[in-house]
Amino acid sequence: MHEIGVREVVHFAGLTFNWETLCMTWLTMAIVILISWLATRNLKMIPTGWQNVVEILVSWLDTQVSSMMGKRGLFLAPFIMSLFMFLLTSNWLGLIPTLSSPTNDLNTTLGLALLVVVLVHVLGVHMKGGHYIAHFFKPTPVFVIINAIEEIAKPITLSFRLFGNILAGEILIIILLKLMPIWMPIPSVLWLAFSIFVGGVQAFIFTMLSMAYLANAVKEDEEES
Amino acid sequence: MIDINATLIAQILNFLILAGILRAFAYKPVVRMLKARQDRIQESLDKADADAEEADKLLAEYKAKLAEANVKAENIVLMAEKRASEEREAKRAEVKREIEQMRKAAKAEIEREREHAVQQLRAEMITLSMAAAGKIVAKNMDKSENEALITDFVKELDKDKIGDLPC
Repeated sequence: MHEIGVREVVHFAGLTFNWETLCMTWLTMAIVILISWLATRNLKMIPTGWQNVVEILVSWLDTQVSSMMGKRGLFLAPFIMSLFMFLLTSNWLGLIPTLSSPTNDLNTTLGLALLVVVLVHVLGVHMKGGHYIAHFFKPTPVFVIINAIEEIAKPITLSFRLFGNILAGEILIIILLKLMPIWMPIPSVLWLAFSIFVGGVQAFIFTMLSMAYLANAVKEDEEES
Repeated sequence: MIDINATLIAQILNFLILAGILRAFAYKPVVRMLKARQDRIQESLDKADADAEEADKLLAEYKAKLAEANVKAENIVLMAEKRASEEREAKRAEVKREIEQMRKAAKAEIEREREHAVQQLRAEMITLSMAAAGKIVAKNMDKSENEALITDFVKELDKDKIGDLPC
């Protein structure tokens, strides 16, 4: 059992990396890719069994994305799908003993949140041009301060919410195991079950908020309500 | 504990790679398959519609043809009946004519036979009369009286119908 909060680091080309986080990320990626590969190999014209589930999920996702972002946002569907699968697998990975979640590292969550926010602004400027920049100054130019705070708050809330939930869950698993004698496993088992729930919910929230932010930037003006 | 370092960049790259891989190997094939199936179904429905239309057209065509054929058949039957009745009439007329001819021929034959019989009877009568006259002459009668007697006799014969003669 490693010390809580102390991270193994490696130095490469003058940069510092959290080695465990990277390894767990690669493991997560491998699991996600394996699941996707298993689910989508051998697709047939007449769907059977597992293919039905995959197709329902994909078409549900497409419907969600196009209803939130309009037709122009449909190219983001695989991004959203990857985000959700990655986060869900990451969150649950830490519940397996000796493994840890990539999302218990702020680098991961902040990285993803920044990626989403940067994507939002790039797409906004790309798709709406000056109109997108102008909407920060509405209804009066003074509001630019509030809007700026909101935009800065987006990645911070996104990343810290996920990071805090997952890290707290993992810390509490360790602490409960240390606090309780070995013949009293009920609290840690309960907490483990709750962590599964929390992991799912946090992955869902992160994905949904990302979708909402992206929708704001991608949606056509006449579609805005 | 919360130390931001180059891991952040690495994680962004990692995630972008993952998204790219999933898009290429999982999302695209499913979407392509869904699209392909949608196209296939659309195609099948279109084809079914076209087939139904074609079938309707064919049905109408066949119905028209059938009606035409019915009319033709009726015409043929009518014509055949007409021709048959004409033929029958013609035949009947011919048979009538033949019968008529035969009857005429038979009548002429009978007439001729009768004439012949009359001729024969008359000759016989004359012979008989001569014989009778000879017998009378033998009884020394007057020659002129004799002649007159014969002539009268023959005249008497002519007057009566030969058929009624009790020969």
